[in-house]
Parts: sequence; C-alpha cells; structure tokens
Amino acid sequence: MLARPRPLVIVVLLALAAYAIALPFFGGAFALKFATRVMITGIFVISLDLLIGVTGLVSFGHALYFGLGAYSLYFISPTSAPANAFLAIPFAMLLAGTVALVVGSVAVLTRGFYFIMVTLAFGQMGFSLFFDTKIAGGTDGAYINVRPVFSLGSWQLLNFQNRAAFLYFCLAALVLSYLFLLWLVRTPFGRVLQGIHHNEARMSALGFNTYAYKLASYVIAGALAGFAGMLFAAIDGYVAPELLGWRESGLAIMMVVLGGAGTLYGPLLGAIVYSLVEETLKSASELSAFFSLFTNAANAKWLGGIFANSWSIPLGLFLIAGVLAAPKGIAGFIEKFAGQPKRSKPPEIKPEVEQREQAKAMQLEVENLVRAFGGLIAVNGVSVKFSSNKVHGIIGPNGAGKTTFINVLSGALRPTGGNIRLENEEIGGQRPHNVARRGLGRSYQRTNVILPFTARENCALAAQARFPSPLRFSNSWHRREEDEAVERALAAAGIAPERADIRASNLSHGEQRQLEIAMLIASGAKLLLLDEPLAGMGPEETGRVTALLRELSADHTIVLIEHDMDAIFAAADTLTVLVEGRLLAHGTPEEIRMNGAVREAYLGEWGQEAKP
Amino acid sequence: MDLVLIQLLNGIQYGLLIFLAASGLTLVFGIMGVINLSHGSFYMLGAYCALTLTQFTGDIFFSLALGVPLAFLFGVIIEWLFIRHLYDRDHLQQVLLTFALILIFNEVQKILWGSYPHSVPVPGYLQGGVKISELLSYPYYRIAVAAFCVALALAMMFVIQKTRVGRIIRAGESNREMVEALGIDSRLLFRFVFAAGVALAATAGIVASPLESVYPGIGEPVLIISFVVVVIGGIGSIKGAFLGALLIGIADALGKVYFPAFSSSVVYALMAAVLIARPGGLFGRAA
Repeated sequence: MLARPRPLVIVVLLALAAYAIALPFFGGAFALKFATRVMITGIFVISLDLLIGVTGLVSFGHALYFGLGAYSLYFISPTSAPANAFLAIPFAMLLAGTVALVVGSVAVLTRGFYFIMVTLAFGQMGFSLFFDTKIAGGTDGAYINVRPVFSLGSWQLLNFQNRAAFLYFCLAALVLSYLFLLWLVRTPFGRVLQGIHHNEARMSALGFNTYAYKLASYVIAGALAGFAGMLFAAIDGYVAPELLGWRESGLAIMMVVLGGAGTLYGPLLGAIVYSLVEETLKSASELSAFFSLFTNAANAKWLGGIFANSWSIPLGLFLIAGVLAAPKGIAGFIEKFAGQPKRSKPPEIKPEVEQREQAKAMQLEVENLVRAFGGLIAVNGVSVKFSSNKVHGIIGPNGAGKTTFINVLSGALRPTGGNIRLENEEIGGQRPHNVARRGLGRSYQRTNVILPFTARENCALAAQARFPSPLRFSNSWHRREEDEAVERALAAAGIAPERADIRASNLSHGEQRQLEIAMLIASGAKLLLLDEPLAGMGPEETGRVTALLRELSADHTIVLIEHDMDAIFAAADTLTVLVEGRLLAHGTPEEIRMNGAVREAYLGEWGQEAKP
Repeated sequence: MDLVLIQLLNGIQYGLLIFLAASGLTLVFGIMGVINLSHGSFYMLGAYCALTLTQFTGDIFFSLALGVPLAFLFGVIIEWLFIRHLYDRDHLQQVLLTFALILIFNEVQKILWGSYPHSVPVPGYLQGGVKISELLSYPYYRIAVAAFCVALALAMMFVIQKTRVGRIIRAGESNREMVEALGIDSRLLFRFVFAAGVALAATAGIVASPLESVYPGIGEPVLIISFVVVVIGGIGSIKGAFLGALLIGIADALGKVYFPAFSSSVVYALMAAVLIARPGGLFGRAA
C-alpha cells in the first residue's frame, strides 16, 4: 500500500514550497508566471496519477477534463467583467466531473490497451467538438478578457490579476490537492483502488464492484483536472482546442512517468523537471551559454539558435533516455536514498481465537449446470449438492471442466443453462461481486493476493468487503469489527503474527496460499471455493493446510479442486468426480474409491501410481 | 442522392486506406504487445517521402515502388534503435517512448520539408474520372487507390492464411506466449512485424498523398482513427481491422452528409456503441 511520504520527500517538498513562497520577493513577472504554470500543471498531473499510479488506469484523454475546465472559465466569464471564482471553481469541477462520469461509464468497461485507446479517442472527440464547430472561437480559441476574482458581494477577497496573489492561491490549491489525494489513497476507498490496480479479478471475487470504484476514481480525477484547467485559463486569459488534445494528455503522462507513477509527489517533480528542461531547450540564450563551454561565442550563439529552433528533438531524446534508464522515474531515485519505509503499527487487538463456536455455514445446490464455449461443452448437465459445514473435493483428469465449473459457480463465467442455488437462492448468472456478497468466496489456481500489500493489509482489504460501498472515505466506520475480523482471519489461517506485516511478495509460496484463505475468512465468506489450494506445496505445508481446512469446516462449507489424491481423499467428506464435463460420481471418499466407473475412467492410473 | 453516393464511395475508399494503417497497428500490438503511438508518424513520413520521390520520378507509383522498401528498412532501424527495448516494459513506458518518437519525427519533418503544405500530382494517365451523372464524376485516381487497397488486403489475407509467416502471425494473434513456446526466434519475428507495420503505414501515406495536401501533422488524425478501428475490430485481428475500417469510413462519410456539425463525433459514438455491446471489439477476445 502507498506509504506515507518519507522524511526525505517531505523535506524536498517543503523546500520547493518555501522557494515558491519566496519567489514573489525576488522573481520577475516571467518567473512568477512560469512557477504558477508549473504548479497548475502539478495539480493536473497528480490527478492523473490517481488514475495511472493508484488505480492502474492509463488514461490517454485526461486533457479533456483539463481543457473543459479551461473552457468553463470562458463560458462563465462575462465579456467585460471578472467571473467570481467562488462560482467558477465549482462550475469547472462540475462540468469536468459530469463529462468524466459519462465518458468513464463507457471507458471503464475496458481494460489495458483498450482503455488507453478509448480514452484517447474520447479526448479527441472533445477536441474536435471545439475545433470543428464555432463554439468559443472554434480553431482560433477565445480570450477571457478579465481575470476572475474571489468576491463576496462587493467585497473583493483575491484578484487573479495580481500575479503574486494568484501564485499563492495556486500554491495553496496544489498543497491541498496533494494532501487530499494522499488522504484519499489511504482511506478504505483508496485501498480498494490500489487493490484493483494490482489484481482486479481478486477484488471482484471479494465482493467489490470494481466498475463503480474505477468510475468513482475516474470522476474524482476528472473533476480535479477541471479545477486545474480553470486555473490554467486564468494565467493567460486564453483558451484553445489544443488544451483538450492528445498532445496535452501525452505530455501529462510523460510527467507522471518521468517523476514516478504511483507516488503522487513523483509526478509533481516530473512536472517541475519537464518544464525546466523544456524552457531551457527552447531558450537560445541558455543553450548558447551551454555551448560556449565548448566553443567560441559566435559559434555558440549559432549552435544555440539552431538547437532552440528544433527543441523537440533533444526533448524527445531526453524522455527516451529517461524511460530506458529510470523506469521508476525521479521518485525511484529519492526512494533509494530514503531507505526502508516505516510500516504503520498493527492495531492492538487481541481476539479470542480459542473460542470458535460451531456455526452453520451455507449449502450450495447445482442443478443441470451447462457451460458451453461455442461448440465445446465444458460443463455438461452437472447436478450436485454441497451440504453445509463439510469439505467437498472435486477431482477429475485435466480438461475435465473443474475450473470452468468453479468459475461458473463464482460468477466469473455465466452459465449456459441450469441453476445454482446458494441457501435456496438462485445465484446463477450474477456478477462475481454480487455472488461474493452473498457469502461465497473463492481462491484461484495461481496465487492471487495483492503482492505489494502486507498480509495484514490484504486481510484488511478483504474485511472491508463486508461493507463494500464505493463511497467509504472514512477509516473509522466499522473499524473495530474489521480489525477483529483481520486478526481472527490471520490467526485462523495460521499466519504467524511476526509475518503479518511483511509484504505478500516476500512471503513463501505456502504462506501466500494461506494468506489467500485468510482473505476469504476475513471477507466473511461462509462458502469457500478453492482452486488447487495445495498446488506447489511440500508435504509439510500440505499437511498444515489440510488440517486447516478441516478446522475451517466448523463454520464454513468448503469446495475445493485438488490434484493431490492422497491429500484430498484424507481431507474431504465427499468427492465429486468430473470427466469430460460430466458428473461421473459423487459420494464419500470410500464410495468413490470403490466405484468401478471412476477407477476405469480416472483413478486407475492414480491407483497404479499410488500403489505400485 | 448523387452526393450521398459520392460520399459513400469516398467513405469506402477512405476506409480502405485507413485499413492499411490500422492493420499495421493491430499486428504490432497483437503480436509484439507494443502500443505504437508513432504509427501516425510513419504515415506522415510516407506522404513526405512520396512528395520528394515524385519530384524525382515524376510518377506516384514509382515512388511507391521505391518508398515501401525504404520504409521497411526504416522500420528495421527504428525497431533496432528503440522499440526492442520495450518488449518487457509495461504499456505506460511504451506510450511514453513512442510519444517521444513523435516529437522527434515531427521536428525532423519540419527541418527537412518545412511547415508549409505541399501537393503531390496525380499521374497524367489517371486524370479525370468516371461520369456518374451530368454534374458529378468520380476520379480515376480514387478508384485506383481503392483497387490497390483491396488487392493489398487480399494479398495480406493470403499471406496470413496460407504461408508459414502467416501461421506464426495467426498463432501470435490468439496466444502470444505460444509463439515463443514454438521455438521461433521472436527477435527476428518482431523486427519483421514492426517493419511490416511501418511499411503498411507508409504505403497508406504514399498512396493518399495525391488525394489531399501533404502537411505537418498529417499522420495524427490517421493515428487516432486507426486506434478507433483497432478497438472496434478487436486487437490483433486483421479481419476485424478490415471490417472496422470500412464501418468507420462509411460512418464518417455519412456523418458528413447528415450531421455536418458533429461529423467527427459520429465515429467516436460508433466506437462507444461497439464497446458497450462487445468490450473486446467485434473480433477480439473478451477484454
């Protein structure tokens, strides 16, 4: 999880802020304007980092909202009087946020490469809307004649015409935006966003409506970008369609990556460095000064002129070198110097693990379930009942349709036909997060935890799924219940307390699989669907996890796919054999062992292997 | 009615041209997993290349014969210099590096050819057009371009369906790891595919150059519209790109007739509609 900024980062940021505060006392008009522009760009790029670095949505159309914010100031400004910033700011954010809601509701349906291209296309749509029509001057852009002021009645609080006042206002806006985002990513809401970034399927299986979360993050980022755009329009008092175009979107991505995506302060540094490099490369005199280190004044002036004319080439090369040499951006360097992050202390709650009472779990009934992929029928008319508080094993040769079966049960795939009833309620065809909310949790064949989170954070995320509203911004609601659920789950899944605050990526394979089960327990699931929980485990780990499964059946129903025959025959109360998508047999391990059809179709080879 | 007919023909011809550009983009992503934003720049360089070569050769088709191998070679060089570093990187870095390439190519274009628009002549034997009615005729050159694009599309389909390279490409479309598992030298395959993508974009730029003026930034609308086509058709699918390009061409042309004020939004609305119905595109794997 995104940690609080390290002391070194705070020092750097405070030094930059101090410089900005002092600037009006010694800087000229140009320096003030430049600094103001960089700060506004900073707000824009950290809003983009919420999408790219936190939620993992690479938006290539973020300038749409920046540009809309800028145009909103034009729309709201009277021809020869100042607009009131008390109205202009909410208007900009509302306009950008509303458009983000509409665009996002389509764009967020897609992932990865599609999302990049779809956002790019929608950005271009906004661009051409202003470029092709006569709205606000069309191609030529439009002027905002008078800068906005903050006024209450006739009392003027702050006039954007005053360069120093405007700079201070933008600095305050930047600091507040940064603190807001820093707070946001550490709320339950932000935690889920980070979970989605690293493993969306898992978050959905835990019961989070990832679509709603992604959309919410898209709208927040859009509204913030709109705010930045409105401020930007107030610098020069000029708006043009190019503000919405893909170049602006691309430049913003550049700054985010250059600075280090996912750190929030990184993109801010990226914006500063990028702006400085661009300004230097554009300025013939500074380049001449650079070349005069190598040659005489006349030659240096000549070279400087040539390079300043074609400043895009060195800028492009600078960016390419940056990507190839420092994939983690400027923040990557700072983090290296800052040393190991300090982890927040675990909450001091001692749950009583000992008194685990028997609790009725859930039963699952499957009737005539069919799932076809085109002509291939992967699950073919399976009917079976998994009674509560038991361990149920599903076995069958490779390609028998076991994983497809579980995917249909958990909602990851829609059934082609048949019924699935959880506690007598039909759940067939529902979305995974809805199925999960009814108490059905699942794990995956490949280990599927959020790797950059600690074990405890992973469980906290799962516990949060008990109250999965996308609008949970406060840490305090349900805090105690959730913390208890986390501690209980860690203890129940056998994760040692000293391992709970280690990043999941540093846990052993067996521990990761245990963590997965812990997450399911923490999420409050009453029926666990486990896809090969023992895969890749040594004999000792296998023994530990099978014992754990037996214990868990006291208050859970467990359905697991497994290839380790010795383990599953020992651990399961019932076994279901699937062959070529059909139910071959269902019964106690003893019945299955004796079943002639099973021996012939499948167990024969196993029997020979196990007892040569 | 004639106007609608002409627009429809224009739309199909434009769609076929866009197919050339989009097919390169979809192959490069489908097989190599690289998002190539500089694809539009190769279209632009193709158009400018046609401008210069036609000044020497006098005929756009000679320029085509010379320009396409040059573009292929250029693609090999760019792949070797920049793109090969991107195979193991995430989308974000691919976006960044290829965006930086656009900045560089645009500047190179400005240095070599300046920022004024130029025009490329239609060859003398293709002047004039087919008479459709008393007042309207459809230019021979546009018909020739459409025929050329169809021929090229058929040739591509043949290569993809019937040859060894085509089999590898098809395998890559459906499962990229498979190609690596088959023991094919992926470095060589990637270099070939990228260069072929560059050559396709440049071909589109060359044959399109006499249709409109050649100007800086000519490749950018092509890049965006190619993206839309790839999204509609489904990533990696040549068939999808073909259908998507025709759909977009016709939608764009009819949009200009029926909603002139919002013509450019029509294609994006079409894209949104396809995505809502099929988030993976018409021929794509489910996203």
